[in-house]
Amino acid sequence: MKISGSKPDAPAVAGVLGLDQTDLYSCVACGLCLPHCPTYRVTGADTHSPRGRIALMQVLDEGKTSLTTEIVEAFDTCIQCRGCETACPGDVPFGALMEASKEVIETTDRQTPWWLKTALRTITYPRLLRFGSSAVALAQRLRLLPPAFRGIPQRMPINRQQLQSSGDDVWLFTGCVMDAWQRNTHFATQQVIEATGISVRLSGDGAPCCGALHTHAGLGRQARKLANRVVSALPGDNPVLVNSAGCGAAMKSYGTLLNTAEARAFSARVLDIHEWLAERLNSLKPSNIAEHRQPPIKKRVAVQDPCHLRHVQGTHGAVREVLQPFVSELVDLDDDGMCCGAGGAFSALQPQLAAEVRNLKIAAINRANADLVVSANPGCAMYLAAGGVDVCHPMELIAQALNDG
Amino acid sequence: MTTPDLTTQDLLRARRTIQDPVLLEFAAEVGSSDPIVMVGGNTQSHLGGVADPNARSLRAPSGIVKYQPDEMTVCVRAATPVSELHAALSEHGQRTSLPDGTNLQGAVSSTVGGVIAVGRSPVTRLKDGHVRDAVLQLRYVAADGALVTAGGPTVKNVSGFDLCRIMVGSLGTLGCIADVILRTRPINRHERWLKMVDADPKAVLNNAKTAAAILWDGTVVWAQLVGHQADIESDQARLPTSSSALPPKLPPFRWSRRPKDLYQIGSEAGRFVAEIGVGVVHCEQPDPQGGKLSANVEALNRRVRDLFDPHRRFNPGRSVELL
Amino acid sequence: MKLRRLTKRNHQNSTNNDPCAADLQATLGDQRVHTDSAARHLASTDASIFTGGAAGIVCYPSTTEQVQAIMAVAIKHDRAVLPRGAGSGLSGGAAPLGNPIVVSTTRMNRVLEVDLEDRLAWVQPGVINLDLSKQTSPFGFHFAPDPSSQQVCTIGGNVANNSGGPHCLAYGVTSSHILALEVVLSSGEIVELGGLDSEPTGYDLRGAFVGSEGMFGITTKIAVRLTPNPESVKTLMLSFDTVTDAAATVSAVIASGLVPAAIEMLDRNCVAAVESFVHAGFPTDAAAVLIIEVDGLSAGVSADATKVAEVAQTHGATVRVAANEDERALWWKGRKSAFGAIARVAPDYYLHDTVVPRSKLVEVLEAVYEIAQRYDLTMLNVFHAGDGNLHPLMAYNSRQAGANERVAAASREILELSLAVGGVLSGEHGIGVEKRDFMTDQFTSADLAQQALLRTAFDPFCRLNPGKVLPAAHSCADIATLSAAHADGVWG
Repeated sequence: MKISGSKPDAPAVAGVLGLDQTDLYSCVACGLCLPHCPTYRVTGADTHSPRGRIALMQVLDEGKTSLTTEIVEAFDTCIQCRGCETACPGDVPFGALMEASKEVIETTDRQTPWWLKTALRTITYPRLLRFGSSAVALAQRLRLLPPAFRGIPQRMPINRQQLQSSGDDVWLFTGCVMDAWQRNTHFATQQVIEATGISVRLSGDGAPCCGALHTHAGLGRQARKLANRVVSALPGDNPVLVNSAGCGAAMKSYGTLLNTAEARAFSARVLDIHEWLAERLNSLKPSNIAEHRQPPIKKRVAVQDPCHLRHVQGTHGAVREVLQPFVSELVDLDDDGMCCGAGGAFSALQPQLAAEVRNLKIAAINRANADLVVSANPGCAMYLAAGGVDVCHPMELIAQALNDG
Repeated sequence: MTTPDLTTQDLLRARRTIQDPVLLEFAAEVGSSDPIVMVGGNTQSHLGGVADPNARSLRAPSGIVKYQPDEMTVCVRAATPVSELHAALSEHGQRTSLPDGTNLQGAVSSTVGGVIAVGRSPVTRLKDGHVRDAVLQLRYVAADGALVTAGGPTVKNVSGFDLCRIMVGSLGTLGCIADVILRTRPINRHERWLKMVDADPKAVLNNAKTAAAILWDGTVVWAQLVGHQADIESDQARLPTSSSALPPKLPPFRWSRRPKDLYQIGSEAGRFVAEIGVGVVHCEQPDPQGGKLSANVEALNRRVRDLFDPHRRFNPGRSVELL
Repeated sequence: MKLRRLTKRNHQNSTNNDPCAADLQATLGDQRVHTDSAARHLASTDASIFTGGAAGIVCYPSTTEQVQAIMAVAIKHDRAVLPRGAGSGLSGGAAPLGNPIVVSTTRMNRVLEVDLEDRLAWVQPGVINLDLSKQTSPFGFHFAPDPSSQQVCTIGGNVANNSGGPHCLAYGVTSSHILALEVVLSSGEIVELGGLDSEPTGYDLRGAFVGSEGMFGITTKIAVRLTPNPESVKTLMLSFDTVTDAAATVSAVIASGLVPAAIEMLDRNCVAAVESFVHAGFPTDAAAVLIIEVDGLSAGVSADATKVAEVAQTHGATVRVAANEDERALWWKGRKSAFGAIARVAPDYYLHDTVVPRSKLVEVLEAVYEIAQRYDLTMLNVFHAGDGNLHPLMAYNSRQAGANERVAAASREILELSLAVGGVLSGEHGIGVEKRDFMTDQFTSADLAQQALLRTAFDPFCRLNPGKVLPAAHSCADIATLSAAHADGVWG
């Protein structure tokens, strides 16, 4: 064995889970991931830690045990925030290992509850989703909503203003739930893009859902199907801008997921809206931002980094860059980008654990002593709002600043 | 596997076998049966009870065994006077954190073993830390007459349980200290004692970043500032008007308090000098609250002494509870 | 082979029919007592490569009273008890022998009181080291011991191992920063060792307890000393063409009368692994890199930093000074993640920990590289050069035939070498199970007998973490029996 900077050859035979052996054994169990894992922070249990979950993957993969209730629970309680990946000095691809493990477990024995499967199917049919959402919104107004719907925004829109494409310089991916529930964010995003002199083409119903939630649930087949639909619905070479960190992360990994040249080319076009805008701040109309002596938003604004922006895409710095000219005081939370507990469908699947994780986040927000929190992911924003946090999308704040200024 | 060469094995064996005739002779002198009172510089023999006059009194060997300025360690016999040790170390610009009495009146003939057995730190504890943290290795004769090595010669060591810590401040009741390896440190580049009349000791503590000692007698604050000259100067500029002065004479008894309780010391103490930020109060009378332990902790203390010295051979009549 | 699922009624290999587990569950509730194979499997190792027995039952108390209740059940069923923090230890100290009840302190994670006037904090043992410093930093204080694992390790674990860290060169190890401890003894009694007053009465039981590797009692509350943050800090990165030059610089700096806050050395292999993680501009072409930090008051710090740079330059160093706090933080992040970064080199590592006199550093390092070459192992060195605390790190693949044996043989030679030049077995990782059987190389039978007495004073029942630290002849535990204990229900 010599230093070569690369890992030794992996054994030829894959185990029960079919995981990449080099990846699976790249964990040296140093434990540096533990404090960055939201579920370990809450329960203190090794079964709820990245190091523990990998150790369990190893015993499963080696065939030392069959699936037990507790192992399934250890995997089900993983939010897949991938905070552990950022903390890992050894580059262990935890997210990939967990997704692959969950897919095997899902195909071996059904794990996903019927209602989640139904929901995940519904969100791929935009009209059905919008109709259903309006019905839920109506039920909200009539106070007829069953408690199971606690996690959703408190006042969902019944009618939605129509979004209109203005050209085709860039694609704006509108997605599923976000389009139905938070179309205001899309309006704001489109306004900000157009303020730079760029025209926007909306992805629309042809690309109904990015499939991130399906991947997380271990529903790999559906996720790949959705990815294919998105890739073919957004042809050309123009950038694909995404204002949802979770969707952006998923779409940037289509290349790996589908493993085709077309998908890799597509993923290369995907940009988080903030990283795109950070390059064009100077062209932001109507006023050149350099003229702003006083930022128009006179608030202390805390930045909550969505995990899939910070830990997966690594573009969270851009959020600060684009907000800086518009906000008088930007503050970071002191929790090293810890997850807020939303985790796509996680908050619905593990409500108690998610709420405890959110409590940690809310404590960090309180320590930051901010007037307002921004989050670049709709799921986080909704979940924090449901926890009583005053939160909005960075694009909404910039749009407001542009309108005010 | 290749066989490790003999030299390594020889060195290992040599290390474990104490061949130093001085130590062997001392161990033989201590023996394994009769009661013994260890005598040092007799500067603190009034503390911790009265030793049984019938016990045989014994002196540890003295002299510096090995001084390694580059390692910042020194091995010294227990009966070596601290002042003698520090004189030797000063030739290389070093000293130890043991109190040597050179700054303060009295206690000039304390021995290294005595200072360690009593375990009382100098007034410069803010800077020098506790005496126990200066002790790296102790060799002592146990109650059964065996020579025992506690700790190790290096500045960092967590090999096995920390017998050194329990020996420091044990008043010689657990074993007879023969020699000791101490950590040395550079002599302060600059140091000066200041005197501030009617100053607020709390403010001095918060402002004097270079303070090694802050003493207070209820009205006057003395502070020793150490370090780089510029840092001392800027410290002094932050402090109330001061003049150079020698530190005060310390009354003989020590009261142990929480640092923040010092400011409430009243007339019950009589004349006192309090170590601000540390909690030691030097008083004219013994501490009325001293020596109180919870029943569980007292039992644990007793168990330690019973196990190490089941027949109470060492310093009979004296005890750490009375210290 | 395909995965088979077991139903909820059929928790695999659980200890549900263990009467001790039932008593614990009755006392603490199901949520605090884990008996399933997954929990027990994961509590059967720490961050080291050492394994022995298996966790029998894993408990998660939150209070002193709950720890006391666990001890009462353990006494009733005559079971051994093993306290566990974050499981980041490297000597197998928290890897159970036999089938003890494992008491995880991770839910005892509250900072109970911060007293800035007396510069101390009362914490529960499961508080993470770095969390405490983060919490007190806005007030200008921190907890000085800073082991490389400080972002994960618990303060209870620091107490058990008398942990060190880079900055212990100037600030001292954990023992110097612990004022008082609340401990549950193996008898079930609660004692408070040490105290907040300046000179607590009695033997220094606090000092004896620190570093006792979970064998004297279970810490339930800790009063730690808080250290003022330095007014000024300067961090220098010195790169050298030879390891010898770097080591000579360490000695020269110390000899010049300076006591820097930290002196760390990384060799070429280590720099390569670290740089690919942190991208901090570590010089990958240097044979060795020293990180030297001086802190204190501004005038002294500038003068000392200049002096360090001068000394280093006379030994051929290229000197860089951290431009700002961000750069400094990045350098330290690189230094402190070195061990984990080894995963980029090989899937397993064995991280050694010995101390040698500073003057022997060059000689010992050369021998260490020679040993590695002889056993065909990848060797990286990253260590606390200022106090001679070596951390030779062997990266290997345990699934290669004979690899474990080669590592064991090489590490034995390194240990013997360190002792032969006047060093000690461990500088900060502790003895645990890793070096237990080497204790007779450093200590005589009489020495070990005295250490055993100390243990007996605290735990006459040999209930706590049995089989560690003291070798067979001096341990009250039957190590052979413990090691042979069949671990029912935990995957080997």
